[in-house]
Order: sequence, then C-alpha cells, then structure tokens
Amino acid sequence: MPSSVATLLVLVPLLPLAGAIATVVLGRRLGPRAHLPAVAGIAGAAAVALLLLLGLGRETGDGHGPPRPVEMTTTLWEWAGIDAASAGGTAQVTAAVTPDGAASPQRRFSIPVTLRLDPLTATLLVVITSIGLLVAVYSIGYMHDDPGYPRFFALVAAFVFSMSMLVAASNFLLVYVFWEAVGACSYLLIGFWFAKPEAARAAKKAFLVNRIGDFGLAVAVFLLWLTYGTLDFHDTFAPDGTLVTAGILGQERLGDAAGIVGGAVGTAICLLLLLAACGKSAQLPLHVWLPDAMEGPTPASALIHAATMVTAGIYLVARCAPLFVASPGALALVSVVGTTTALFAALIGTMQNDLKRVLAYSTISQLGYMFASLGTGTLLGFTAAIFHLVTHACFKALLFLGAGSVMHAMGGVIDMRRFGGLRRVMPITAATFLVGSLALAGVAPFAGFFSKDEILASLHARGWPDAHHGPHHEQGHGAGAGHAFGPAAPNGATAATVAPVFRLVAASPGQEAAPSGLDALDSPGTFRLLFWMALVTAGLTAFYTFRAVFMTFTGPTRIPEAAAGHAHESPRVMTVPLVILAVASGLVGWWLFGTHTLASFLAATPSLAAPSVASTAVPPAFHLDLALQGTLAAALGIALAAVGHLGRRSDGPQMERFLGPLGTLFANRFYVDQLYAATVVRPLQFVAHVAAGFDRSVIDGAVDAVSGLPGAVGGVVRRLQSGLLQRYALAGMMGTLIIVLALAWQLR
Amino acid sequence: MTLLPLVHDGLLVGAILFALGLVGILARRNLIVMFLCAELMLQGIAVSLVAWSRQHGDWGGQMLVIFVLTVAACEAAIALVIVLQAFARTGRLDAAAWQSLRESNLPRVIDHGLPAPDTVAPRFPRLTPAGVLPEQDEDEVLHREHV
Amino acid sequence: MSLATTFPPPGLLLAGAVAAAAASLWLLLPGNALGGDRRIRSIGAALGVAALAGLALSGRRLGGLGEEGVFLVVSGVAIVSAAATIVSRSPVYAAIWFALALAGVAGVLLVLGAQFLGVATIVVYAGAILVMFLFVLMLAQPAGLAPYDRVSNEPLLSALAGAVLLGLLTVSIGRLSGEPPACCQVPSRTTAVAGGTTDAAPAAADPGDPFATDHVARLGAELFGRHLLAVEAAGVLLLVALVGSIAMVSRGASVEDASADGRAPA
Repeated sequence: MPSSVATLLVLVPLLPLAGAIATVVLGRRLGPRAHLPAVAGIAGAAAVALLLLLGLGRETGDGHGPPRPVEMTTTLWEWAGIDAASAGGTAQVTAAVTPDGAASPQRRFSIPVTLRLDPLTATLLVVITSIGLLVAVYSIGYMHDDPGYPRFFALVAAFVFSMSMLVAASNFLLVYVFWEAVGACSYLLIGFWFAKPEAARAAKKAFLVNRIGDFGLAVAVFLLWLTYGTLDFHDTFAPDGTLVTAGILGQERLGDAAGIVGGAVGTAICLLLLLAACGKSAQLPLHVWLPDAMEGPTPASALIHAATMVTAGIYLVARCAPLFVASPGALALVSVVGTTTALFAALIGTMQNDLKRVLAYSTISQLGYMFASLGTGTLLGFTAAIFHLVTHACFKALLFLGAGSVMHAMGGVIDMRRFGGLRRVMPITAATFLVGSLALAGVAPFAGFFSKDEILASLHARGWPDAHHGPHHEQGHGAGAGHAFGPAAPNGATAATVAPVFRLVAASPGQEAAPSGLDALDSPGTFRLLFWMALVTAGLTAFYTFRAVFMTFTGPTRIPEAAAGHAHESPRVMTVPLVILAVASGLVGWWLFGTHTLASFLAATPSLAAPSVASTAVPPAFHLDLALQGTLAAALGIALAAVGHLGRRSDGPQMERFLGPLGTLFANRFYVDQLYAATVVRPLQFVAHVAAGFDRSVIDGAVDAVSGLPGAVGGVVRRLQSGLLQRYALAGMMGTLIIVLALAWQLR
Repeated sequence: MTLLPLVHDGLLVGAILFALGLVGILARRNLIVMFLCAELMLQGIAVSLVAWSRQHGDWGGQMLVIFVLTVAACEAAIALVIVLQAFARTGRLDAAAWQSLRESNLPRVIDHGLPAPDTVAPRFPRLTPAGVLPEQDEDEVLHREHV
Repeated sequence: MSLATTFPPPGLLLAGAVAAAAASLWLLLPGNALGGDRRIRSIGAALGVAALAGLALSGRRLGGLGEEGVFLVVSGVAIVSAAATIVSRSPVYAAIWFALALAGVAGVLLVLGAQFLGVATIVVYAGAILVMFLFVLMLAQPAGLAPYDRVSNEPLLSALAGAVLLGLLTVSIGRLSGEPPACCQVPSRTTAVAGGTTDAAPAAADPGDPFATDHVARLGAELFGRHLLAVEAAGVLLLVALVGSIAMVSRGASVEDASADGRAPA
C-alpha cells in the first residue's frame, strides 16, 4: 500500500482518538469550548475519509467490464504472536479440506493490527465520520447546558474511533475487540445521565443483550480459527512473494472453489455471526434493547442507534458474504429474520406515542429490511443493503436530530399527544423532518425510494427466479473474471440453476445435494412470502412515519407547560446539520442510483467480487413494476395516516380505537419484554440472590470466622490474666508439672 | 548410687513437706499463712539437704542449710514489713485484695458463698459465785485482757 | 521388706497414694466445693493418713519397725503438723501448728545426724521467726475469723498440683535407690578425701549415730574454714535486711505522720 494512503487510512481512526483523549485531558479547562478537540478530530477524519473514497473510486475503474477486486492493507504492528500455536485449519489454500485436518502442519497464531481499505470500508468510513461530524456539531447546541458536556464529546469521538477501526480492521479478532468497544461506548452514552434510574437500567439492558450477540461472535471467531487456521481477512505474503497465510476473505482463498468451508461447520459459523449481528443490529429476538436505548441523549441516539453502531451487524454479514453464500440455509435464515423483524417492529411502531420510540422501532424495521436484502445472497442484494444503509443513515439521523430539536424546544417532553401543530413554531425543523419522513416512507425521488426499491427487487428476484432474471444470470456467469469456478454447471442458461449455484459452491464432501434442515428455507417459496411481508411493511412504515409527522407538526398548536414561554426554533448550530442531512436525503439516492456508482464501486470489494457472489450479478435495471407496488403501499400508508391524524384530529387516539385488542398487543410490544423478564431475568435474579446470600453467609462467614479466631482465642486466653498472684503461680506450677510429666513419660 | 534407707526416708519427708508447703502457698489467701507455708517449703529443703549430706558424708549440705536458715530469717523480716505495708493499704491481709493488674475486660474476682465460720466465739458459762471469793488485785482485774 | 514386696505393685500403689493425697488435701482445705464442715474434714484427714501410708510403702524399704521407730514418730509429727498448718482456718492456729511442725523437723534433722541444725531450727525458726509472725498477726489480724481465711484459692487444682508433684518426687527418689548405670557411678566420700583441709567424716560410715561428741566442733571448723566468705556475706545480708526492714517500716510510719500533720513526707 502506498505510504501516503497508509498514512491517510491511519489518520481516520487516529484523529477522533486524539480528539477524545484531548477532550478527556483538557475538557474541564476548556469550559464551553470543550467540543473543539472532538469536533476537530472528527472533521479531520471526515475529510480524510472523503479523500480516501474519491481516491479509491478512481482505482476501481468506471464500472464497465467485470468487477476487479481492490483492496489495500497496511500492517501497523503485530499485537499477538505465538509460534506453533496449533495444527488446525487448512494449511494450504489449495489443499482439499480434510475433515480430520490430519495433515496440517503447525500454524503460527498471529494477530496483526492491519487496517484495510476497500470499497466497503471506504463507504462506511465516510458514512460514519460525516454523520458523526454533523451529530457533533448538532450536539454543541443540544448539550449546551449539560454539566457533562466534555464527557459527551469525548464519548462521541471515542465512538467514532471505535467504529472506524471496526470497519477498517482486517482481522476477526480486531473486529471483535472493536465490536466490544462500540458496545461499551453505546453503554456509556445510553447511560449518559446515569443518575436517572431508567437510563442506567436501559444502558445495562443494552449491554447485556449485546453480550449475547458478542458471545456468538466469540464462538464464531474460535470456529474460524479452527477451520481456517487464521483470523485475517487478507492474504499475507513473504517478502519474496510466496504466500504465507491465505486470509479467510483473501483473494487466494476466494478464487479457490474449495477455499470456503460449507456444510455443518460453515453453517454453524454463519449462524453464530448472525447471532452477533442480531445482537448489535437489534433484530429478533435481541431487539429489546434499542427502544430502551432512547433514554440516552438524542444526538447519541442519532449517531449510534440509527446511523452507525447498529449497522455494524450489516457490515459483518456483508463482509462475510462468501461465508454466508457457502451456507444457503443460514443465508435464507438471515432474510427470514430480517423480514420478520421488519414487520414486527412496524406493527409495534404504529401504536407508539413517544416520538423517539417511533423512530427506534422504525430503525429496527429498516435494519430488518437490510438483513432481508443481505439474505438473498445475490450481488444485488448485498449492494442494495449497503445502499439502504447509506440512505438510512442520512434520513434516520435527520429524523432523530429533528426529534431532538422538538424535544429541546418542548422542554424535554417527547410524548406526541402533549404537543401539536409545531410547524408554525419551528418551521425549519418541520420542513426537514418532512423531507426525512418522505425519504423513510419511500416516496420518489427521495433517498429511501431507490434503496427500498432495490431491496424489493432482490427479494423479488429470489422469489420469482423465472421472471426476467435468467439471461442475466448467464451473462453474469460468463463474466467470471478468469477464476476457477468449481464444479458448477457450465450452461447456466436455465434459470433453475440460480438456486443450485449456491449449493454447489460448498465444497465439503459431506454435503448432500438434497436440501435438508435449515437449507429447506432456501427456496423461492420462502422468498415470495418475504416479498409480500416486505411490501406490507413498506406501507406500515409510511403509515406510522406520517402519523408521527401529522401528530407533531399539524393541527392546532399546543405547547406543554414545561416549555411554555420558550418554545422556539433551534439555534443555527442545530438547524444547519438538519438542512445538510435533508439535502442529502433528497439527493443521495437519486445520484447514487442514477449513476450506478455505488453498486459498481461496492462490487470491487474482495468479499463481493468473489466468484460465488459476483456470479449473481445482473445489469442494473430500474424495475418499474416493483417501484409502482412500493409507491402504492407508501401512498396507502400516508393516506391512512392522514385520515387518522391530519389536522384537527392530530391529538386523537385513533389507532387505539381502531385496532382494539390488537392495538393493545402492539402497544405492549408483543409482550416480548415480559417474556424475557419471566424466563430469563427473574431466574437470574433469583440465582444472583442465592449467590449473594452464599457470599455473605458462607464465604464472608468463613473469612470472618478466620479473622475472629485470634480474637476468640485471645478472649479465652485473656481470662488467665486475672490479676491474682496465686493463680499465676498455680498456672506456672501446673505447666511445669505437665512438662516434667511429659519428659518423664518419654524417658521411662 | 544406692541410698541408705534413712536417707531415702529423709528425702521422702523432705519432699512431703515441700509439697505441703506448695499447696499451702497456692491455696491459702491469708498473707501470713502464705509465708508460713513458704517457710515450710524451706524446711522441706533443709531436710533434703541434710539427708544428702548424710548420704555423701559431706558437710556441704549442712553448710547450705545454715545459710538457708540465715536467708530465711532475713526474708521473713522483710516480708513481714511488706505484709504490714500491704495491710496498711487495703486494711486486710487478703492476697486477693491485689487484683488491679488483671485484663481490662475481666471483672473483679469477688468471693461468693462464703462458708460459715465453724467456730463461734466460745461462750464460757458464768457460774454463780459460791463461798468466799479469792482476793483479787484491783490492778490486775482492771488490766486483764480477755483471752 | 516383706511388706513392700508383697503389697500391690509400686506403680499402682503410688498412683493410689497420689490420688488419696490430692483428695485429702482438697477436702481439708477451707472453702472447697463441698462446704468444708467437720465431717468432710475428718474424711479428708483419714484419706491423708492413708495417702501417707501409701506413699511411704510405695517408695521405701522398710527395715525393722524398731530401729526406724523414732524416725517414724518424728516424721509423722512433722508431716501431720505441716498438713494442719496449711488447712487451719485460723492463722494463729496455723502458726502454732507450724511450731509443732518445726519440732518434728528438728527431730528428723537430729535423727539424720545434724544435731546443730536441729537445735538451730528450733532456736531460729520457732524462737524468732515464728514469734515475728505472731506479732504481725496480732497487729493485723481482724478480730474473729476473717472471711478470706474461710476460702481457698482453687483448692482442687492446688491439691492436684501438689499431689502430682509429690508423686513425681517419690518416683524420682525411689528410682535413685536402684543401681545406676555403669557410666554414672559417683564415688562416695566415705573413703579418705585427698586435698581437703579437714578430714570430715561425721558418722557417714556409721549410719544411725547422731550423737558423735565433736559434731559441733567439726561443723564450726568446716563453716569458718571453707565457707568463711559465705559467712561474712551472710552477716552483711543480715545487716542489710535489718536496715532495710527498719527503713521500710519507718518510711511508712513517717508518711502517715506527715500526712496527719499536713507536711510533706521526709
């Protein structure tokens, strides 16, 4: 990697880290200017990330011809290294995978701190740093009066550092480290106002639920080490050019048909990675922490729980695309989980009265969309997911910051039933919020429309493979960039080979040809159902979004007492980021889709350029039928919301009356929290009580007994000192006699 | 060595006297009686020493007894002075009166349940005078102490 | 001899004698757990006699009763009087009993051949020391029997300690009567002594003759010959004790006078 690029790549996480450290050290002294180091660091990182993106964009070419994988790595130092650590995994990338791994030589356990730069990383870096910068600038106004002002900026900068490192790390163990780091930053930010018990509880809940996902990631890392003998993404070469280690997602392995392990082990790894992604990205059944995480400050929610941290799961699955493609059952499960979560969260979101909670469930739902797209396993699906990630970051951050603006003006009140008609009080906020809502609902030409359309297209392609996708498959197949494809059918003309292609990539000899167990999910029927669910969810999304918009901004102006007198538009430092994000929401989708830059750019990522994934490429097309279906669903949703809540009806409990008992079910979030409380939390609390009692009585009792022993013995022995001389003489006499008797007994 | 029977018995007597004196010192509370028992122990020692002198045909034992005697006299003198000082402080000759060097958390040892004195003051009978009383010296009558 | 060899084995007899001695002392001591009335005391006395007999039998070789008769009587007087000394409730009676014990001890000393010492015991102890004790009792003893004379300090443990000690001593003395191993033979001085200025052999070769005519002369020669320094030191010790006791007494007295008069003590 050219040293200038390496320097720039290192700067991206380094500048926010320096900002965070400077804020910690100097924060108190800077007073009201405590935001400067952090904002400067993040701004610098954003500029550098943009530079890197543009530079890399030039490298990847113009999008014609077969995608050429582009990656650059730079190794900073070796964090851990143990010679001859194990004899596991595939030693040679070209050797067949032996089930018993008998012939593998000793491997060196090595964790190099290596940063990588490829299209996926570059895209995410730009998203993270720019949204981070806008949120930081916004926070200057939002957190203005907070006593923890420097702490907030230190945490935001630390978070940007951790997230940048997560997407730039080229080693699974480093990803795990920064996975935990972003979890820690999230905990600290949710519990920012730690004196408030709900916030502390919510932070604890977020951390614990994430822990379950982290456990999955840890076990996945162990399995990856055992299976592949290395944890690096990239290939390592000796100075003379020979291959030392073939990385798990390196080009040497991806070009080899037998490089990626499928079968039981591969499925296990993918399922564990899915568990980790569910934990971090708040999918079923680990979604329960995200709505509670709204106890944190709104800018934190915008940054972490809308735009960046929750997308770490998406990133992980997209990065490990070749692994997932080799396990079709796990891949289909990703889609099922995602779509189910999307529908589930959308239903709950229709009944929420707290504006931030509506947005939280909306986030869960949109993340479900991204997972649904990832689970289709096609290049279109992966790129659509990342596209939606980018657009979602823009408009969801916008919506959250807008909600923060409303909350700021309403004196901390966020219950939509208590205020209304705010468009007259806060026009800029209202306008930008409307733009964001249109983008979220998927109304053309805003950003969400295009990305949602792509997702629906990828689902449709898997559900109806006979429809106009067959010839494209052949074209994509012939475009395999000269790498060996493996035992695939050479004449990909029949569309029915779309599905078997995925199975044939798996090279484990124990793999059966007929689908069994989890693999039965991987069928067009599943994806048809998922497509209809996604369509319904699109309508629901539009509905609850515009319900929130109408309840908040339309109708008679009502201001709660907490804000009476000073309800006004937010200062410029808060509205300028809103405007920037609104512009982005409006234009980004159109521009990225229209020029097809993102799709072709991302296709140059090594993970996505792997033949198993790249072979599913189709030429970019605009699917009018799907666009119409999506728009119809959105229009229906908006109309229903208008009927219920527009104008004078903006404060009415329409949804409760309309849905009745179903509404109660949605409002209580399908009782998932209660289920968890009964099955998991109470038993654990009971165990904790038992353990505490044991600790207090047995362990502390033993220690206290040991410590009390000298005192007790002393208390007994003290009684000898009675002050009576004759008793002393008697004691001496008896002692002497005992000794003499003992001696006499010995000498008899 | 083989002890002469006389020496053997003498040693035994000395041991018995010594042991008795020891018991007395340990058990009795009256300071004077304690010193009497100390002297008893010294007597036992003296008997043992003379017995050994007899056994070995050596004057050394008897010399030592002479000095023991001397020292016992000195010791008795000084000890009795100390006893008198102690009596002046506490008003009684009780060894248990001196307890203040006990551990701070222990209570003072107090006698409970004293046995009743088993000799009451004797009541001598008063007889009615009969016959002629003997002549008495006035001085003597006035100054006779009750015994 | 026949008695000693046909009776119960010495170990058991000794243990029984020790136990009987402990029990008798305990019963006799004032303020013991059983109350200490007359009946108890008589039981204790009986046990004491039995203990004495047992101790005597378990360790000694009894010759004919006749030649040891004097010794028996005299030692019996000494021991019984000593026992009475330590258990008397009245300290005056204890002092009187002590005088009797001294008489017994003097008799024992005479039988053992230390005539001068026997007489010296009577003169010094009974004549001087005991009288001193009685004077102090007269000064300090409360009228009637003091309460602290009616109790003992740990009677059981003291009696036990004393009895065990006695048993040990008896065993040791008894063991001395056996033949020692060849390495530890001590030559007795019954034969002629080389290097001594005196040819001291007072009746050693002649057991049982306490009435050699020049006993005191020889004792004097030995005392002022070999032990002259010790005699002088003893004299100094007596002087020091004299001066010291007067000083302590007068100091106490002057303190009382001074405090009565209001002046600082001299």
